[in-house]
Amino acid sequence: MDNSNYHSEVDFAIRIGGEGGEGVISAGELFAQVAARTAYHVFTYITYPAEIKGGFSMIQIRIREGKIYSMGSAIDYLIAFNQQAYDTTIKDLKPGGMLIYDPDEVKIENNLKAECYPIKLTKLVTDATGSKLGKNVVALGALGHLFGVEFYVLEQLIKDRYGSKGGDVIKNNLNALKAGYSSGEANKWKPKFKLVADAQAKEHYMLISGNEAVALGAIAAGCRFVAGYPITPATPIFETLTDLMPKVGGRAIQLEDEIASLSACIGASFAGEKAITPTSGPGLQLMGEQLNLASMLELPLVIVDVQRGGPSTGLPTKTEQSDLKFAIYGTSGEAPRVILAPSSVEDCFYQTIRAFNIAERLQMPVLILTDQSIGYRKATVRIPDLSKLVEVDGSKLTDEILIPSPEKIEIARRIEMDPEKLNGYKRFLDTTDGVSPITTPGLAGGQYLSGGLEHDETGKASYLPDMHLKMMRKRFKKLETLSNALEKNPPEYEGSEDAKIGVIGWGSTEGAIREARLLAEQRGILFRHLHPKVLSPLPERQVRHFLAGLKQVIMVEENFTGQFAHFIKAKFGVKPIEIHKSEGVPITPEEIFNGIEKVARIVDETTIARL
Amino acid sequence: MKRQLQDYKSVIEPVWCPGCGDYGVLASVEKALLNLDIAPENIVTVSGIGCSGRLSHFLNTYSLHGTHGRAVPTALGVKAAHPELTVFAVGGDGDGLGIGGGHIAHAARKNVGITYLLIDNQIYGLTKGQTSPTSPLGVKTKTSPHGVFEDTLAAIPIFLAYDVSFIARANGVDTKSLTQILMEAISHKGMSIVYILSPCRTFPLLDSKGLKAILQPLPEDHPRGDKLVAMERAYSDKPIYTGVFYQVQKPTLEDRLQNVIKKVCEKENGGDNYSLDKVLKSFA
Repeated sequence: MDNSNYHSEVDFAIRIGGEGGEGVISAGELFAQVAARTAYHVFTYITYPAEIKGGFSMIQIRIREGKIYSMGSAIDYLIAFNQQAYDTTIKDLKPGGMLIYDPDEVKIENNLKAECYPIKLTKLVTDATGSKLGKNVVALGALGHLFGVEFYVLEQLIKDRYGSKGGDVIKNNLNALKAGYSSGEANKWKPKFKLVADAQAKEHYMLISGNEAVALGAIAAGCRFVAGYPITPATPIFETLTDLMPKVGGRAIQLEDEIASLSACIGASFAGEKAITPTSGPGLQLMGEQLNLASMLELPLVIVDVQRGGPSTGLPTKTEQSDLKFAIYGTSGEAPRVILAPSSVEDCFYQTIRAFNIAERLQMPVLILTDQSIGYRKATVRIPDLSKLVEVDGSKLTDEILIPSPEKIEIARRIEMDPEKLNGYKRFLDTTDGVSPITTPGLAGGQYLSGGLEHDETGKASYLPDMHLKMMRKRFKKLETLSNALEKNPPEYEGSEDAKIGVIGWGSTEGAIREARLLAEQRGILFRHLHPKVLSPLPERQVRHFLAGLKQVIMVEENFTGQFAHFIKAKFGVKPIEIHKSEGVPITPEEIFNGIEKVARIVDETTIARL
Repeated sequence: MKRQLQDYKSVIEPVWCPGCGDYGVLASVEKALLNLDIAPENIVTVSGIGCSGRLSHFLNTYSLHGTHGRAVPTALGVKAAHPELTVFAVGGDGDGLGIGGGHIAHAARKNVGITYLLIDNQIYGLTKGQTSPTSPLGVKTKTSPHGVFEDTLAAIPIFLAYDVSFIARANGVDTKSLTQILMEAISHKGMSIVYILSPCRTFPLLDSKGLKAILQPLPEDHPRGDKLVAMERAYSDKPIYTGVFYQVQKPTLEDRLQNVIKKVCEKENGGDNYSLDKVLKSFA
């Protein structure tokens, strides 16, 4: 992406940075909304400081014709509210990019290779409203002008957003908006690109965050029970569900802690409801004992861990992929559970539906691992065609149950016990696939004992050596059932069959790796890319198929120790080169590309030496 | 066909020590359920860890023997999801006042319609005699070999402070009164706690005879709605009162949840639930 074709195709990124509490993010989100109502795709990335006010806060909005996979590596437009925003971000501005800054707040260096547009945000807002609040709305006005957005469109947006706050708030905001808009006109800023509204966009696309996508996926999957405890950055899932649940006749309850939240989900699932609890790493840790119990009781339920920087309180508002080992192994004893990792905002919707389907089908907890970057990222997502949504009996395991898509969404119902066949009913009957019949309270004759103690097929506590082994086998057999089904799916990797380099990633890095691959292909470096959505149980034959013929494997992870790499090394005996990023911010396509380029040189040299 | 006591018994024989107070509790629960004629399939029993946690094994209900201290929030989930069920939470003094003590306040705030049987034997009996939150000061236990040096927790005043909407204390050995109290607790709309004194024979801190000497029913005219009178009598140690200390009516969690659904759907969708299509379009 060099200077010459800078504006030739629609693909640009805008970053707004400032002090937390200045409304940087809300201005950016309003602008993203304008952009989403056009024929283009939108993708946002946000970092908040952990404090309510103060600290560096920024939003990046990428606008592109066609799908967007990542936030991109560099930015085309930078709006800097203060010196910190400028200092932290100016290195990311592409040569020839545009800098919009408040000259009263920001000192810029000489010889900057950028188009520089000063705008006195603080002065403009003080003149327009008599208060310092609303710099963000001035910036929104200026941006709107720069991108040829009609004033009335912005006006409506402000009214929608602040409508409930009363006359003065609206009036001040509109004055601030006008001040920003006119300032662009008065200073003769050259409009860069016209964002023309497209009526179709609103019909077919949602602009949602990964967190909202999870909440919507749960609702679509038929989940009608959420219990939770607020924790950054998972809170928006809980907030969205507390709003939506009553609308669809469901129940949302805030509990006193994460232990109680998962306990309530276990209770609800025992009573026959599909249940979910959203949390982040520290909360998942607290849930450990109940997660174990759910696995032992063989109850379906879904836990979402929106990962943040750890350990301990760590970086609550930053991103990291560092809960994988805890998610897979983190309980006492050995308790099977399934781990899914959605790879995009849209995927958050479908993987959540899939999580419920797997949970119902296998009667066990399913964990969805997302992270702050995907949770707070907003993207345009096509509204699925709901005529493609069908309910099926949970016991009918089909490939579609495992991978819902916009073309076909199957929703698994609970495997219900036939009331005629209750004679000799054993809740924990050892079957060929490990899944046993289940009754729910209310069904006469279906009463059973279910407990965390090791038990026999009827549920009665048993400490016999044979029984423990038998029931361990039975519970783990369900993972085998799932991985056998997954092996039948088409391989989940992309890229050239001839490639000698393979890249493995998981979760939110998919888009960045994909863009790195496209970048590499332009430079003649081929690699193939595996990005499993089901991390545990991993479909081994599929992974081996991917590994076959590769000279070098590279693993990309946003953590310090290479958690997924440990897993892959142990299981497949490969020695990957590991690219870790543990800085609280997402890895960029360029960073991945740079790593791969170095590896490509080594791999090539080896090839040459052999020749 | 008229239900029998047998209908409430599971096929599993109780494993408590001979003479354990928990036998009396189990028998009283069965009797109360029979008297109220509640179908076993509509009952869920959630229990914690400890001797009393085993109670769920012996009832022919939908029974969930969970983890230590989490019976109350687990039972809350059952009741919130299916309000038509009769739901018990069962646990001992360690389970309910030690490890799980923090949950009671919040279940009380929500007034979830469960009956919590808190069975107190003043000791960790299952693990063979360690100090519990209600072990008396100075008593020697396995973990207080030189005598308990902490103050004893007074449970009933705590429940009163939390405003649990039904609070009773009972003698587990006196099955007749316990059955009566249980019937009232189960019929109560909202959260009920029956705090049952149940002597442990193996590590005897409470004994039936001693209990009989210090226990006394609350006066006939005890005003159930008066929290201050209840508080005063709850703190009395000579005599220790039994009976229903406190009972008030307030909306249950189940009602509150149903009201939110009704309010939201009426206000925003003419009384109907939203369709999935409408939910998704609201994000466009």
